[in-house]
Amino acid sequence: MNDAMLYDVAIIGSGPAGMTAAIYAARANLKVLLLDKLAPGGQIVNTFEIQNYTGMGTINGAELAIKMFEHTQELGVNFEYGTVTAIQSEESVKKIICEEGQIFEAKAVIIATGTIPRMLGVPGELNFAGSSISWCAICDGPHYRNKKVIVIGGGNSAVEEAIYLASLAEEVTVVTLLHLTADPLACDKLRALPNVRIYEYYDILEFLGTDKFVGLKAKSTKSSEEIIVNADGAFEYIGLKPTADAFKELGIVNDYGYIETDAFMATKVPGIYGAGDINSKHLRQIITACSDGAIAAQSVAKYIEKQNWEG
Amino acid sequence: MAVEVKEVNGEELDQLVTRGKVLVDFYSKTCGPCKMLGFVLKDVAKSVDGVKIVTVDFDTNKETVERYGVESYPTMIVFNDGQELTRVKGLQQKPKIIQMIS
Repeated sequence: MNDAMLYDVAIIGSGPAGMTAAIYAARANLKVLLLDKLAPGGQIVNTFEIQNYTGMGTINGAELAIKMFEHTQELGVNFEYGTVTAIQSEESVKKIICEEGQIFEAKAVIIATGTIPRMLGVPGELNFAGSSISWCAICDGPHYRNKKVIVIGGGNSAVEEAIYLASLAEEVTVVTLLHLTADPLACDKLRALPNVRIYEYYDILEFLGTDKFVGLKAKSTKSSEEIIVNADGAFEYIGLKPTADAFKELGIVNDYGYIETDAFMATKVPGIYGAGDINSKHLRQIITACSDGAIAAQSVAKYIEKQNWEG
Repeated sequence: MAVEVKEVNGEELDQLVTRGKVLVDFYSKTCGPCKMLGFVLKDVAKSVDGVKIVTVDFDTNKETVERYGVESYPTMIVFNDGQELTRVKGLQQKPKIIQMIS
């Protein structure tokens, strides 16, 4: 299926970066296509409370995503569902190929595909991923009321979710490769909970169980002691992984999987831009993603103006 | 072509699922993916016909949730004349939901 419309810009990913880019591009009178494989919002949909987005005070992530999406719709942005597998970059037209069969065409592309939760990659993980191993405590936590759970990781997400799970579960065991690196106040709160055990400097070796999840095996990086933690389920919070595999052939993805751009969000391929968490950058926040989106859209507007001028 | 998304309790759900095609969304007010799925379902409802779309609050219908074997939210179940056809966990894209109920 080939969508006959030639868009000025196709934006891949509808998180804060993509939606902000869509708003700025639509306001610059460009014909905008906003694509996403799942739903508007990206990672912020999984954030219960956002407390650092200027002017919003405290807002639920999904509610902010819906407000952003409605803003794009008020400006006439065309939203389509599609899982992009490749971009074919020709001189003046980019072809966006989707797994579902659609092919979209645009003069310029902004890649704003963001990141997804990182997995450990240890034996047993794939057997239980999406069932007894989860990345969303708010979604799957209630299943573990009065049961035992493991939280993997020691950063802010791990510690915050472990505190939440401790309010439901009989016992929460935190296992982390380093020490707890989260906000000190949150770490103190977690350590003070009576139903929480913490194993710091432990490397996860494997998840245990054949048909039924029974726990995990880990090894101390200090003493080499091996432990078995029994539990009914596990939650992983070990960081994020960029989702730029579909764009590797363009030569714009660095060794860490992130997209390299200049200060104008331009990649080295003319007409292809990056914005938000997918970019190689220092700070990944909603507000910096929005900033990238705005800059990328302005750069696209100038790129198209120049293309039109040059004929 | 459009249907409405209605909130129902456990008792109403038991009666509804016995006749015709019904999509049930078990959700929680505290869950972000549930909020977004609710938003997507309203959009789905605009482009389907011949199906009932209902939502059940996970937190205020615990007995129903257990009886239907729902372990996490959001969970969608499609019934036809009382028979469970499909069950999916988590946020889903609009075309996949339409495919589930068509």
